[in-house]
Amino acid sequence: MTTPLVEMKNISIAFGGIHAVEDVSIDLYPGEVVGLLGHNGAGKSTLIKILSGAYQRSAGEIWIDGQKAIIDNPRDAKAYGIETIYQTLALADNVDAAANLFLGRELLSRWGTLDDAAMEAATREVMGRLNPNFRRFKEPVKALSGGQRQSVAIARAILFNARILIMDEPTAALGPQETAQVAELIQQLKDQGIGIFLISHDIHDVFDLADRVSVMKNGRLVGHAPVDQVSKDEVLGMIILGKCPAGATPGSGAMPEESPESPVVLKTPV
Amino acid sequence: MAEPKAGLMTRFLKATEIDSRMLGMIAALAIIWIGFHIASGGVFLTPRNLWNLSVQTSSIAVMSTGMVLVIVTRHIDLSVGSVLGFVGMIMGVMQAELLTQWLGYNSGFTWWLTLAIGLLLGAAIGALHGYVIAYLGVPAFIVTLGGLLAWRGAAWWVTSGRTVAPMDDNFRLLGGGTTGAIGATWTWIIAAVICLFIIIAIVNGRRQRTRFNFPLRPLWAEAVLLLLGCGLALGAAVVANAYYWPKRVAERYAEAHGLLIPDGGLAISHGFAIPVLIALAVGAAMSFLARRTRFGRYVFSIGGNPEAASLAGVDTRKVTLKIFMLLGALCAISAAISTARLNAATNSLGQLDELYVIAAAVIGGTSLAGGVGTIAGAMLGAVVMQSLQSGMVLMGMDSPLQNIVVGIVLVFAVWVDTVYRRRAA
Amino acid sequence: MKNVLGAAVAATLFSLSISTAIAEVTVGVSWSNFQEERWKTDEAAIKSALEALGATYLSADAQSSAAKQLTDVESLIANGADALIILAQDSDAIGPAVQAAVDEGIPVVGYDRLIENPAAFYLTFDNKEVGRLQAQAVFAAQPEGNYVFIKGSAADPNADFLHSGQLEVLQAALDSGAIKNVGEAYTDGWLPANAQRNMEQFLTANDNNIDAVVASNDGTAGGVIAALASQGLAGEVPVSGQDGDTAALNRVALGTQTVSVWKDARDLGKAAAEIAVKMAEGTAMSDIEGAVMFDGGPKGVTMNAVFLKPVPITRDNLNLVIDAGWVSKDVVCQGVAAGTVDVCD
Repeated sequence: MTTPLVEMKNISIAFGGIHAVEDVSIDLYPGEVVGLLGHNGAGKSTLIKILSGAYQRSAGEIWIDGQKAIIDNPRDAKAYGIETIYQTLALADNVDAAANLFLGRELLSRWGTLDDAAMEAATREVMGRLNPNFRRFKEPVKALSGGQRQSVAIARAILFNARILIMDEPTAALGPQETAQVAELIQQLKDQGIGIFLISHDIHDVFDLADRVSVMKNGRLVGHAPVDQVSKDEVLGMIILGKCPAGATPGSGAMPEESPESPVVLKTPV
Repeated sequence: MAEPKAGLMTRFLKATEIDSRMLGMIAALAIIWIGFHIASGGVFLTPRNLWNLSVQTSSIAVMSTGMVLVIVTRHIDLSVGSVLGFVGMIMGVMQAELLTQWLGYNSGFTWWLTLAIGLLLGAAIGALHGYVIAYLGVPAFIVTLGGLLAWRGAAWWVTSGRTVAPMDDNFRLLGGGTTGAIGATWTWIIAAVICLFIIIAIVNGRRQRTRFNFPLRPLWAEAVLLLLGCGLALGAAVVANAYYWPKRVAERYAEAHGLLIPDGGLAISHGFAIPVLIALAVGAAMSFLARRTRFGRYVFSIGGNPEAASLAGVDTRKVTLKIFMLLGALCAISAAISTARLNAATNSLGQLDELYVIAAAVIGGTSLAGGVGTIAGAMLGAVVMQSLQSGMVLMGMDSPLQNIVVGIVLVFAVWVDTVYRRRAA
Repeated sequence: MKNVLGAAVAATLFSLSISTAIAEVTVGVSWSNFQEERWKTDEAAIKSALEALGATYLSADAQSSAAKQLTDVESLIANGADALIILAQDSDAIGPAVQAAVDEGIPVVGYDRLIENPAAFYLTFDNKEVGRLQAQAVFAAQPEGNYVFIKGSAADPNADFLHSGQLEVLQAALDSGAIKNVGEAYTDGWLPANAQRNMEQFLTANDNNIDAVVASNDGTAGGVIAALASQGLAGEVPVSGQDGDTAALNRVALGTQTVSVWKDARDLGKAAAEIAVKMAEGTAMSDIEGAVMFDGGPKGVTMNAVFLKPVPITRDNLNLVIDAGWVSKDVVCQGVAAGTVDVCD
């Protein structure tokens, strides 16, 4: 068995007394796509933001390549090769695509000034691969369409040779054709040995793209399973009821299997 | 009939990549100037008045360049006028009293020691504001409102309200005046150097674009840009050199240097005023900082989306602190210009300047919503404001009326800008 | 009030040190604020004058709040003040407090700022006279030609008092055409920088053909002189001012400013203390030495008043300010060439 690329062990975080994530452990192997599923507010985005350095966990450890990692801010995460495509895209609307792609990692000329031409050239190159029709390099990203903005955010994530990619709802703003492009891109990245966390609430997307799924509910991990070991209905049961099927490994938030008539089930209107 | 003309204009703007907003402002300024020229009976567009105007604008223009960065990052600084007053007072006491005791009257060291201390003090005050805003999380409006009161009070404390005068003779050169101008020869040299820089910039730009196979501007567009830029620099030099020393000053100079006064008087050119050169240098440096450096890139991205900048790994707090520190230092430069020009440090110096500085930035197209603004625009905004004030005095309008006009123009300018942006979006 | 007689006897018969022990007149002073340097000077003058008269000094600072000043006055009365000196923050809003004091039989001196109540006494420097002295000094130096008037802040009624005083002196010459008004402007906030800007524009508009400048105070005069200096005209064009600022007195010595009309705050403080004590002792307002009837306020109320005479300080009488200890000689004489001013040699 190879060493996991990422291991998040017993992660917890609380905001003002509310446990947004509690005692969650997940892992990711090189060349693997792990789909992270759950309702809105289940804690997926929060968990992922801990990995990307945007939030600081209150308990737990993060291991990268079998070594304990220190991630206190986004810069630390980037230093480990962790890149994130946020659901909000996190673009500075008032500057152009190149400025966004290189934000925080600008290319400098010999004199320490911004090398705009080099950055624009690199941007043209990567955008050419992702979205060959893209021409609006000089305009602020505010002026771009939803799909174009999405491709800028994706381009930023893959530009710096990421090893671990976090995609938070990457296809939400896209049409069918662009969604297909993203699927193709994910396949390419996988082949390069990049590990990908794919967050989505579209279960079909995840089954098409992911190798494994991890399901969260109320801030806890219900369980995880390889996609070929579970059915979509079973995964839906995990998401909605927190019921862990036979083919899955239960997590800390899994409903006890033996008591189908537990109060939790009775209270849940299905 | 307007259609083909507009089409031509659009093509011209696209080819030269000139910002149409900037062009609009220049047009507005031209209208104001010509209007005042007619209304004042032909006094406004004279070398003398334009030269005065340039000197009168310098202090506000210097601070407005820093205010742009503050407003771009969605902050505000209400304390600049008071900081100017306090730093000016310290610099006044420094040179007129403390340093004079050690070094003697008009020592060669006095002026730059004073200036250095002022700059350090201004930067320290700005850093203090920035620290409280960025690291302690107190809104900039409140911190600088406190600063507005506190530093004005501090300015009073320095000498218990007493006016300090006169300033050191070398220091006074920073404020302009007959001696505070560089004369004809140097004016030509500086205009030529500016011209040279424009050529280098254009050539360098073409080389860069060629390197990466980007589309080039048409040659005719480059030529237009070159002509405009050089024309502006040389034109300014012609105007500054056409303003001669006042008769009596020239006579005294001739007497002191044993020159013979020719018929029709001795014509000695003023040339560019030193405070104007300082303001231009500050403007160039700040433009460079805003557009060509990492710091500037961070400032604008924070303004566009603070969360995105911080997720991208930008240390937004450090950048915020630096911005306020920079503005503090700029206040010190303005304080030097103002005290030198008035030849006195008074505790009321710079009162209401914060409003003029903010107005200049806003008239110059800086958006209070953050993320948008240019240094050149703010400086142009300062010129517009000062043109209005000077022009109205020339016309004999009284100050309450002047304030009404300036207030209306401010609101009008922002309204026009809002409409423009809505159309453009 | 019970020891009025004793205090009066003490003040007139005994030496200062003895009188301090016996007198029990208490004078309450309500200040509008201490933000400006000069009120500290006034306070010191009042204090020492009261001490000399054997009276007790009581004070309150309204911190620029008209509302606080009302309660200040009430608490001064409650603390046993026999007479009040009030520097009104707001001359109208102070009305009820003054009335309360008058109802208690406590005399009130309106200090420097007018309080329009017939039962109050008005003590100030004559601002119109300041304007007259400014105009006289400039007119004496330059009896014809183009005049510029740099007025004070449009928001300050004193600016108009000053200007009307200036015009009183110059009206005849203006009418005869000997002098011509080629520009006049208010100075926003009395700021020197604004005065400088206005002056530069007047110089531009008149192509430097300006022969005299009547500026309303020393701050604005400083701005005017800076503007004149950049045209090489400083020292050739007479300029007036007021306040006796150190920088201005230095300019008078250097010859770039013609006159600074000096209102010695210590005289004002001393007079206030003496009048308050006299009134506390029962002297009628009309019997105060130098008292005149005044009805020139906005409401036209007839009041008893004393107007102190300001002193115009020129190159010839600079010794007055130095001898009075107002400023030191080396400050006044900084940069003055030997042999130009008697005082400095």
